[in-house]
Amino acid sequence: MNKNLELADRGFGYILVAPTFIIILAVILFPITFAIVSSFFDYTLINKSFNNFIGIENYINSLKNERLINSILVTFFFVILVVFFEFILGFFIALLLNSINKFKTVYYFILLLPLLINPIVVGLIWRMFLHPQLGILNFLLSLFGIGEVNWLGDPHMAFTTIIFVDIWHQVSFMIILLLAGLSAIPKEPYEAAKTDGANIIDCFLHITLPYMRPVIVITVLIRLIFAIKTYDLIYIMTKGGPGDSTDLISYYIYRSAFISLNLGEAAAMSSILLLIIIIITIPLFRYMDRLD
Amino acid sequence: MKKIVVENLSKKYQKNIEAVKKINFAIDEQDFFVLLGPSGCGKSTTLRLIGGLETASNGKIYLDNKDITNLDPKDRDLAIVFQNYALYPHMNVKKNLSFSLRLKKFSKNYINSKIDEVSKLLKIEDILERKPSELSGGQRQRVALGRALVRNPKAFLLDEPLSNLDARLRALMRTELIQIQKRLKATFIYVTHDQVEAMTMASKICIMNKGHILQIGSPDTIYNKPNCVFVANFLANPINNILKSDITVKENGIILKIFNKRINRNHLNFKLNHNQIFFSIRPEHIYLEERSDTLLIESKIEVVENLGHENILCVKFNSTNDSLYLRTDTTYKYKSGENINIYIDLKKMLYFDSKTEKILGE
Repeated sequence: MNKNLELADRGFGYILVAPTFIIILAVILFPITFAIVSSFFDYTLINKSFNNFIGIENYINSLKNERLINSILVTFFFVILVVFFEFILGFFIALLLNSINKFKTVYYFILLLPLLINPIVVGLIWRMFLHPQLGILNFLLSLFGIGEVNWLGDPHMAFTTIIFVDIWHQVSFMIILLLAGLSAIPKEPYEAAKTDGANIIDCFLHITLPYMRPVIVITVLIRLIFAIKTYDLIYIMTKGGPGDSTDLISYYIYRSAFISLNLGEAAAMSSILLLIIIIITIPLFRYMDRLD
Repeated sequence: MKKIVVENLSKKYQKNIEAVKKINFAIDEQDFFVLLGPSGCGKSTTLRLIGGLETASNGKIYLDNKDITNLDPKDRDLAIVFQNYALYPHMNVKKNLSFSLRLKKFSKNYINSKIDEVSKLLKIEDILERKPSELSGGQRQRVALGRALVRNPKAFLLDEPLSNLDARLRALMRTELIQIQKRLKATFIYVTHDQVEAMTMASKICIMNKGHILQIGSPDTIYNKPNCVFVANFLANPINNILKSDITVKENGIILKIFNKRINRNHLNFKLNHNQIFFSIRPEHIYLEERSDTLLIESKIEVVENLGHENILCVKFNSTNDSLYLRTDTTYKYKSGENINIYIDLKKMLYFDSKTEKILGE
């Protein structure tokens, strides 16, 4: 191509990209930069100024803070348990549903329902279900002679309950993605394997799993990242309590920023969280690169 | 002894779609048995029934005199080669080949010697470490075949194995498949819609249409003595001429009215209760010069198809609208619109009942 023409072409390309770039700049790059910059200042909602540069003091303070360490641990166990059970349960249900050909639209619709409900609403509904005196769950248990359970009031119980509610809300996400993956597997390799002498377990290990690997990796990683960010459920159901037993990191950061009003430290913690999520995301991007 | 016997085999899907309707055939040891028919005729279903991938609604399948109708595919000891190869994408060629042997826990030495043997036979020694996605269509086809060969099954079931290859490769693989089948003295059941494949490879052809078997026989028999209009039509390259004609049946012979000409065929004697028949005349039995027992027709060339080694002429008879196909050599360049005299070989004509479409005079 003519050199001048090529330059003009490139210039035109930049013009076309510019609007998108400006929007991304305004809604993503600016807030992130603002947060990172303010994490190096003594920036509070009472004193909103960039006058006091304090270096990495916010980082040191927050990492020294036992409550942050606690919420990192709580988040870690929450994420591991939630993703593990959602995956196992989701994969199992997806495998079952994949062999059913009738009423596909019906069960797809039913599966989608929890995902369509706003997490705030999910939290409210479950808070009502789980109410020690008025909730339906304790009423049903009382029919079997089981005494009142304090689902959200007992520190150990609250953590388990939150995990259960999150699984209830999010397992459909796993099922739907894994089901889509399963239904995309061609049937011929199974037929070939059957004539080759494979039983159901051989077929699962040698065909289903290898075919599903990319879907599994991506689904689990996406779910992992979303689980780390869990916030609304905690806000509605426990506010991090009782004590700090359900104090997930996103909620803790929210409290630092908007209850303790220490925006600088909250920004520092957000940056740490961002770094953690980036570290987890890298393998995902590497893996997706390798798929092409 | 018959290798595979199929008795009154039927397959009904939901909504009462009957893919295979009470079919019967027997396959000898070392037969190259080709199931031939248009798409949707039930040939693939028949193969899948034999292989155990579909369950029969009715009827029996015997392998070496043993009833295998309700056995699991893995217990039938039959190998299937699929049209789209169905290789295991995450395994390399070697693992693909050895999968069945590894499942059956054969010794490593045996597996390796078997892979050696088969990969030499199929000339795939160089690609054993590659994944299916790194192979060409032809190579994938070979691996799929190899996966069947390593098992020494009682018979091979091949479902349109060559239809995804290009024309040249298909011709080469045809020859190779014939050689492999002869060398292994194996029994092949081969499904295809391609009549060239059927003619060149089969020891027996079984023609199916709409779930029924129409005719079973050697390629020669089926080509020269089709038992109905469908078979005469289907097994033809490029096309068989099949036309309607009025007929008068007399005590000693028949009178046909072909292209407005009356023809007496005294030796023929048909039993008919109406006065119309179909007759077929293959393109190679229409000549450009007079021979004994031919019928002259004045016609006009409509289309000339140049195939390089021969021409296919489509000609139209002047006073009716019937068109005929014939083959000529390429020495004279015919042009469309040109008038031409053609001679139909009356000895080679076949006659079919216009109502039942079955052959007459057999």
